[in-house]
Amino acid sequence: MEQMLLGEAKLNKKCRGGIFLDGTLQEFVVNNSDVIIKNWLEEVTEKRKSDYTSSISTELFQSTNREFVNVIFSSLDKQGLTTELDDFSERLINLGWPLSYLTDGLQTFRRVTIDFILSQSEKIETNHFTNVLEMVDNWVDPIINSLVNEYSGNWEHTVSLQRVALQELSAPLIPVMKNITIMPLIGTIDTERAKLIMENLLEGTIKHNAEVVLIDITGVPVVDTMVAHHIIQAAEAVRLIGSTCILVGIRPEIAQTIVNLGIDLGKFPTKSSLRKGFEKALELTGRKITRSKERDQTIEKMMSSLEEG
Amino acid sequence: MDFKPCVNIRKEWDIVGARQLGREQAKEVGFGTVDQARIATAISELARNIYLYAGKGKICFEVINEFDHKGLKISAIDQGPGIRDLNQVMQDGYSTSGGLGAGLPGVKRLMDHFEITTEVDEGTQIHTIKWLR
Amino acid sequence: MRIPILKLHNYLLISIQIDLDDQTAIQFQEDLLNKIHKSGATGVVIDLTSVDIIDSFIAKVLGDVVSMSDLMGARVVLTGIQPAVAMTLIDLGIHLQNVTTALDLEQGLIKLRQELEA
Repeated sequence: MEQMLLGEAKLNKKCRGGIFLDGTLQEFVVNNSDVIIKNWLEEVTEKRKSDYTSSISTELFQSTNREFVNVIFSSLDKQGLTTELDDFSERLINLGWPLSYLTDGLQTFRRVTIDFILSQSEKIETNHFTNVLEMVDNWVDPIINSLVNEYSGNWEHTVSLQRVALQELSAPLIPVMKNITIMPLIGTIDTERAKLIMENLLEGTIKHNAEVVLIDITGVPVVDTMVAHHIIQAAEAVRLIGSTCILVGIRPEIAQTIVNLGIDLGKFPTKSSLRKGFEKALELTGRKITRSKERDQTIEKMMSSLEEG
Repeated sequence: MDFKPCVNIRKEWDIVGARQLGREQAKEVGFGTVDQARIATAISELARNIYLYAGKGKICFEVINEFDHKGLKISAIDQGPGIRDLNQVMQDGYSTSGGLGAGLPGVKRLMDHFEITTEVDEGTQIHTIKWLR
Repeated sequence: MRIPILKLHNYLLISIQIDLDDQTAIQFQEDLLNKIHKSGATGVVIDLTSVDIIDSFIAKVLGDVVSMSDLMGARVVLTGIQPAVAMTLIDLGIHLQNVTTALDLEQGLIKLRQELEA
């Protein structure tokens, strides 16, 4: 057993140190960094002509490239990921550089390095070839992974912030008059949002002591069975806590889909416009709109004074 | 798997005990009042089913941490007569006890995950999970 | 455990403030019907502000007590159902279709009077 292990170790050693007399591949690469960097810069600049970074000034592009390649080499020097890499990627993210600039750059770097090492080798054996590939991969891959993680972490963060922002503007409840509250719904309603809307709606109804709640769906682009289902459930829940729900803002095409889908909205009042719904709400709370007498009288007075004159 | 306490269901009052414990646990996990009510109500339905149909059994709680997902798992386990026609009891409005027949389909709607295995004369196991939003 | 039933003119007022178990719920149903019979009350308000769980059984008992009271000539209004409870009932598929509801005791009494006068 022990012998076998020893044998393997020996073999490994031979593979790693076999070709380069002056040490490992790594040293070789570092010693020839000038050439590799030169090749890389050429390729990247060549590639740039047909690509997304064309809006960036040439100086900035070149200085970023130089910094980028230094960061790559420093991670080789220090045997792994460095804070320089973190700082660099963080800065690029903030400046809005695309992730593809970094991944393309690293892929190019991988190719350039491998080409260079192989071109400098006297003989190409499978062992050596595998070795070179492995070594370069071990060097480049962690950097790619770390960059992708950094970027996607940033995206996830953005998405979650936007989700929160969306939830905040999700469903405002507006008390327009004592005992009457309006909830305008805007945008697409999915199950998650529907639950949130329902919670806001019920809590708000209690908070504002609203006898009548108007749900305005003018701003809901599509009412399919699922959306209708959520709205009906919300209206039922409002009824359970002791208030009345009026659905307003039903556009002709929505009326058509609702009937064509066979959805029964008959159990609670619906109105085509917020105005009609509001009038109904006033009626339900025992009020109505009247023109103030005073104004009529003023007009009458004006008319009579004109006649007199 | 943080802890896994169980409540035995033998008498009617155990139903109330189980749902009160469930509500406390839901609160501890961090659920809002609405989900606390959903969880407690689901437990009430499950516990009542055990009491009515199996006579005795238990309700178990388990806090789940999966990646960035946190949730509460409620299991209802009995060695009762089992359910003969699973499709039928999962239908809305089906009841053999004179209830509203909202029991199991209701539990399914109250929770996020619902799984039932039953064997006639062997017993029934129901596992449900509510995920923290 | 018994739930107190208060009489006010023609009305009976009940505020449920405990976690209802099945036995208490059924006992309450019986007590309320007896009280309606004895007092000749025409309206009942059951306030559920402090109730934080209504499962399908309790919902059935409540729905039944409304129908039964109706048969005996007393209108029932349920008041103060909490949002969380309302949402669970909806999830359970329970809509208490024939039950009158109101936000609180005050509005419950107003609704009751309107219904009785109509």
